[in-house]
Amino acid sequence: MIRIAAMSMRSRRIPIALVIIALTTSMALLLAVERIKQSSQKGFNESLGGVDLVVGPRGSGLELILYTVFHLGNPTNNITTETLADIAANSAIEWVVPIALGDSHRGFRVISTTNEYFDRIKFAGDQPLSFAEGAAFGEINQVVLGSDVAKDLGYRVGSSIVGTHGSESLGKLHDDFAFQITGILNPTGTPTDKAVFVSLEGYELIHLGWASGSQTLSLKNLDIKTIPKERLYPKTVTAAYVGLASKLSLFKVSRSINDYDEEAISAVIPGVELAKLWSIVGTVDSVFKLMNWLIIGISLISMVTMTMTGLDSRTREMTILRALGATPSKLAGMIMMETALISVVSISLAIGLVRLLTWGTADIVSQWAGIRIELSWIAADELLTLWIIVAAGLIASLIPASMVYKRSLHQGFSS
Amino acid sequence: MILKTSGLSYDFGSGKAIHFPDLQIRAGDKVVLVGASGSGKSTFLNLISGVLPIQSGSIELKGHPYDQLSGRQLDSLRADHIGIIFQSLNLIPYLSGFGNAQLGLQFSKKRQSRVDDVDQAITALAQKLGLTPELLHQQPSAMSIGQQQRIAVIRAMLGCPDLILADEPTSALDPTATEQFMTQLNTSIDPDSQAVIVVSHNPEIIPLFDRVIRIGEDQ
Repeated sequence: MIRIAAMSMRSRRIPIALVIIALTTSMALLLAVERIKQSSQKGFNESLGGVDLVVGPRGSGLELILYTVFHLGNPTNNITTETLADIAANSAIEWVVPIALGDSHRGFRVISTTNEYFDRIKFAGDQPLSFAEGAAFGEINQVVLGSDVAKDLGYRVGSSIVGTHGSESLGKLHDDFAFQITGILNPTGTPTDKAVFVSLEGYELIHLGWASGSQTLSLKNLDIKTIPKERLYPKTVTAAYVGLASKLSLFKVSRSINDYDEEAISAVIPGVELAKLWSIVGTVDSVFKLMNWLIIGISLISMVTMTMTGLDSRTREMTILRALGATPSKLAGMIMMETALISVVSISLAIGLVRLLTWGTADIVSQWAGIRIELSWIAADELLTLWIIVAAGLIASLIPASMVYKRSLHQGFSS
Repeated sequence: MILKTSGLSYDFGSGKAIHFPDLQIRAGDKVVLVGASGSGKSTFLNLISGVLPIQSGSIELKGHPYDQLSGRQLDSLRADHIGIIFQSLNLIPYLSGFGNAQLGLQFSKKRQSRVDDVDQAITALAQKLGLTPELLHQQPSAMSIGQQQRIAVIRAMLGCPDLILADEPTSALDPTATEQFMTQLNTSIDPDSQAVIVVSHNPEIIPLFDRVIRIGEDQ
């Protein structure tokens, strides 16, 4: 019967191929969207390992997380380093890593911070940052690059770069002071890969003589060694990453920072803010998923419709098989077998297509959106989704199968 | 005894039942059913093959009364003991001549057990019916009607079913081809184990059969 079913399908290869294309495309779309969503969620969630709180100016917590961690949007206000010192004095806080944002280098964000950043910030769970080349900055004129920056711009340790004032690539260059690359980080799959790290002092230095976005004094005319050290320690920073001695004190410390009355600051828990983000994105995701399921549903309906309309033109085939002794259940089974075969072929093609697409576009998506899509064949939950589709196809095929079952041999002879 | 019918009649719903003669078919019998158009020849054949349900009377094939069999058992009985040749459109279009012929064994283990080498059996029957081995590998669309009917004969004969039923198998053939076809069909039958019943409205083939049953005349 399998051979007959296969030959019969071969004779109807064009409509069957169209149905397979429709099913394959819709299933591949479903898998791809799900995979991109999971990869982006994983990427976001793993971007700020080791950080218990992000402290910044009072405002939207989600916005604070987006611009401090994911380099999305621009900071609107700063917090003073004096306040940070007060916060750091809390015995429940183990460490504070300040960051100042604002400049860029050829489209990549410049993050000014302390050396502690490279020890404290983790990614993909609890993995520490590591250097592919060189080491962390030790001098005011040294810079560390994320892996994508070095790769995309072709930089090596020892090269010199200058920053751009502001986050726009067409901003004014800080070309009166060059930083020397002292280290390049290994890839992490997080926004760290797309960042340029300088010391707080180096960042403060290049902004000496800047007021209201304009440069009034060139560093070329200054002997940097004569500038007092305390003059280069920033009075304000954009935000700070905070690590606690014990997670149990998370809400207590968070509340105490939010209640700080010397300055309008707030402490946000990254995981909580990301959960809010997923809940916002989740609505769009649900709509998208619903549309995908509708497409799959339509594809399945078209498969059943094709089978049902095909039954009339297959009367001769069915009648001959019945006359030769095929039972109605065998013929109904043949119809269901065809449906199962179409579904399984479509699933295999969809898995292959998604694999091919992720293989072919992983680098582009990573460059463009910073999302690292995992190159895996199929995950257990994806397989479950696909089997649900096969089951739905088989259930739908019961309609034409029951038509074949009920159609008596005499009807076949008469027609 | 291969087939025994008794007191059969069939009413299509008009209230006027067609009554059929009682039949007793033994091995070696070559029977032709003749009658005017609409006389009920094909209906009689469909009752014998189990295609139509019995309304009144009885049919026994190899000692199995139809009215005591389930639908599945009747399908199985038909697969084991009856070979059918239709009036036209006998072949499945996507299978080769060989594939179509092989279908004769598809649903019957009994018939399969009677054939040691399917290829050889099909080729031998093809030669007997005047078909070249090359033709067996062609699709039905590349064959003439006569060739298609011969492939249907091979399918019906394969595995030696006890009863061959043919419903106007020569209606699309010219007189010369008709005579040749009927002669070949009759000579292909094993007189010790098989019988053939052919429905025809063509009086010219009557001499080729040893019994003529007239349908639609007073029983």
